[in-house]
Amino acid sequence: MQDESESEGSGSGYGWWPSWRPTSMSLLKNTEAKILACIQNDVWARFVTLPTQDRIWTLTVTNKRLSKAPEKAPRTPLVMVHGFGGGVGLWIRNLDPLCRSRPLLTFDLLGFGRSSRPLFPSDPAEAEERFLDSIEQWRRAQGLERMILLGHSLGGYLATSYAIQYPERVSHLILVDPWGFPERPQPSEEEEGSGGQRSEVKRAPLPRWVKAVASVASLFNPLAVIRAAGPWGPGLVNRFRPDFKRKFEDLFDDDTMTQYIYHCNAQNPSGEVGFRALSESLGWARRPMLGRVSLLAPSLPVTLLYGGRSWVDSSTGARVAELRPPGTTRVLVIEGASHHVYADQPGEFNAVVEKICDGVD
Amino acid sequence: MFPLESPWNISFAGCGFLGIYHVGVASCLQEQAPFLVDNARHIYGASAGALTASALVTGACLGQAGANIIDVSKEARKRFLGPMHPSFNLVKIMRAMLYRTLPPDAHTLASGRLGISLTRVSDGENVLVSQFNSKEELVQACVCSAYIPVYCGLIPPTLQGVRYVDGGISDNLPQYELKNTITVSPFSGESDICPRDTSTNLHELRFTNTSIQFTLTNLYRVSRALFPPDPQTMKAMCKQGYKDALYFIRRNGLLQYRGPQRALGARADGEEVVEEEEEGEEEANGESSHDGREVVVFNEHSTVEDHIFEHLPPRLHRALVEACKERRSLFQSLGNLLPIRMASALMIPYTLPLESAMSMTIRLLEWLPDVQEDVGWMREQMVKLVQCFLNQAKRRLSQQVSARLSYQLELRRSQSLPARPSPSWMSGSSSSMLDLILRLDQYQRQLLPGLLSVNLDLRASIFTQSSLAEMPEEGLVMRPVGPAPMASQPSSEGHPGGS
Repeated sequence: MQDESESEGSGSGYGWWPSWRPTSMSLLKNTEAKILACIQNDVWARFVTLPTQDRIWTLTVTNKRLSKAPEKAPRTPLVMVHGFGGGVGLWIRNLDPLCRSRPLLTFDLLGFGRSSRPLFPSDPAEAEERFLDSIEQWRRAQGLERMILLGHSLGGYLATSYAIQYPERVSHLILVDPWGFPERPQPSEEEEGSGGQRSEVKRAPLPRWVKAVASVASLFNPLAVIRAAGPWGPGLVNRFRPDFKRKFEDLFDDDTMTQYIYHCNAQNPSGEVGFRALSESLGWARRPMLGRVSLLAPSLPVTLLYGGRSWVDSSTGARVAELRPPGTTRVLVIEGASHHVYADQPGEFNAVVEKICDGVD
Repeated sequence: MFPLESPWNISFAGCGFLGIYHVGVASCLQEQAPFLVDNARHIYGASAGALTASALVTGACLGQAGANIIDVSKEARKRFLGPMHPSFNLVKIMRAMLYRTLPPDAHTLASGRLGISLTRVSDGENVLVSQFNSKEELVQACVCSAYIPVYCGLIPPTLQGVRYVDGGISDNLPQYELKNTITVSPFSGESDICPRDTSTNLHELRFTNTSIQFTLTNLYRVSRALFPPDPQTMKAMCKQGYKDALYFIRRNGLLQYRGPQRALGARADGEEVVEEEEEGEEEANGESSHDGREVVVFNEHSTVEDHIFEHLPPRLHRALVEACKERRSLFQSLGNLLPIRMASALMIPYTLPLESAMSMTIRLLEWLPDVQEDVGWMREQMVKLVQCFLNQAKRRLSQQVSARLSYQLELRRSQSLPARPSPSWMSGSSSSMLDLILRLDQYQRQLLPGLLSVNLDLRASIFTQSSLAEMPEEGLVMRPVGPAPMASQPSSEGHPGGS
């Protein structure tokens, strides 16, 4: 609360105006600091300024023992890309275990978390390009030659797209519950039933008002509600996403996590606009990844991790495997995990990812 | 692979009229994987889920349960305004149906195994009831768990002398957080058994633990939870439940555990059983690699699911078909003609009050045995409300007064001081400040034993106000009680001169 005007006032001309939403970059910073204080290894957190003047909030975690004894050949670093509406803080249960054998880097995507929030183009291809450019420029600024790229949800979509465009930079692609893979079924198919491949139950077509509500809702940014709710926003996140609090309850017994989510998303929407450009009304990707998976370098090993309870259909993974050369794609399901696999079953998730990384070098 | 080594639970989410989905799920579990039901440590349920859970635990006929739900929904749809019509008494219908459907020894079967989620009215906390002393108590627990305030009525029902309402308000999916709880929800989201909508929407919300994804179909489902759809749609939902449960059993390779009692019925799908066993082996291999499970592609789906109609337990199927049948009499078909419908719609302003009056009378008559208890409860609530209000007002007042009080204390002290044999510190300013503070404390204790209560505070304020006029100007130096500031010096010195 104390230095609310510091970062907010300078950017917009409304710094003097009492804020409707109880959020600010400095509040986000404080909440994030509370979360990052749990890390036991060496953390180097800083903004990386790109040639486009965008700033990317970056975290490098290095094992204490590893940094003391410099190895002969440094191992390929692991780069983690968070999903929609998240930030580096969500990886808190994975940072320490995964940095054991190699350097670990993670960053807030352009337009999310603490990174810059520029204006995104509304064309899907351009918006995707904007995301990818920021990742590539960030990589160059970091001086990374190759990396193991791990993406969750929206991050998985972007990581795949990145690996298609810059195949020489990625040693292994790990996709955790990736978003935006399946194509939208044809309207006639969709009318028949919503059971996916099991669409033989006849269901009455949805009434018109449902569609009307959906079309009105699609005029807004996905998370406009929590911004519009103003002072009630944090309560809203607490009320309707208590799972975030529960997932991390052994680390924080207060609302730190839900507050972090709130502050990440209550700010000026930018990445959200980019996401909206990438997606169609109901969360389908405008440029689905399944159609482009074959463009991935044939030799690039890919692992898809799915949560057993997640709404993301793990059969998509099997289809990816079909579309790629045999033996290069693995699909794993982690039981008892929801969409946020890495937070729900951190032990199993970390073990799996570490094993994959060890397979690289 | 579902971990069968450790005890597991089944949890049914609350969902109003979509409870028909649970019936489909329950009948599938009972048929295809009976050990999953029989050996489950607990079966939980909230609201509509509690009805299915109790039917499942007590071994009541699920076909009957499904038919009941459809009957109720038909009853609700019959009238103008649907379930909001005053003559539609959901609680009464539900109670009668539960009595009819549950076996007489239901409470002994349910005690210890069935957990019903309730919301206590007095503090809004969630309560899981699992001990039932009689069938009445079990039925009453179900009624309490499904009692949505305002929608079902205004006076919450009692169970073992405590008032409860809908369990969905506090916990709609009991014990969902345990890894080995099979969660069942008719809303597509992150439950173990739930419809899978073809949507890749990233957004979901949690309604008291039930995960609901933002999809069009879910929006439709939520709207139908309290305002039931037509019987055909309900039947489709039941089938959907059966199918989703089958998918779950299949995916976890639990079909191979099928007991010998199913061997007779399985002859039609013999080749399927073989497939299942192969699948199980593959899964065993996946397990041994110990880093998650390789996904098996289910391309046999379409062929297997074609047999769904044979799969639906015949009793359930028959009951559903029976319930869906519209008994079309001449009178009803006449009533469906457009002019008649229009006429009845126009008559609503006249018929509605009449019907309301009728149903109100009936309800009042039915209420008679409980009147005393309920009125007592209402009086209690009123008293509590008034008390709460008074307490708040009192607190507010005392806050205001206490600010003034600190000054008034000072005044009283300065008035009464001269009457005492002159204390040593009055003689001059030579005595130390510490001594002075100690004295003041002592006086405060002597003079104001009862001043802590608000009434006395008020009197004190009146008293000082009346005395204000008599007081000479210089004696009126006010100061906060806290650390004695320098201002107290002139006040105590100036006083003797004043009086």
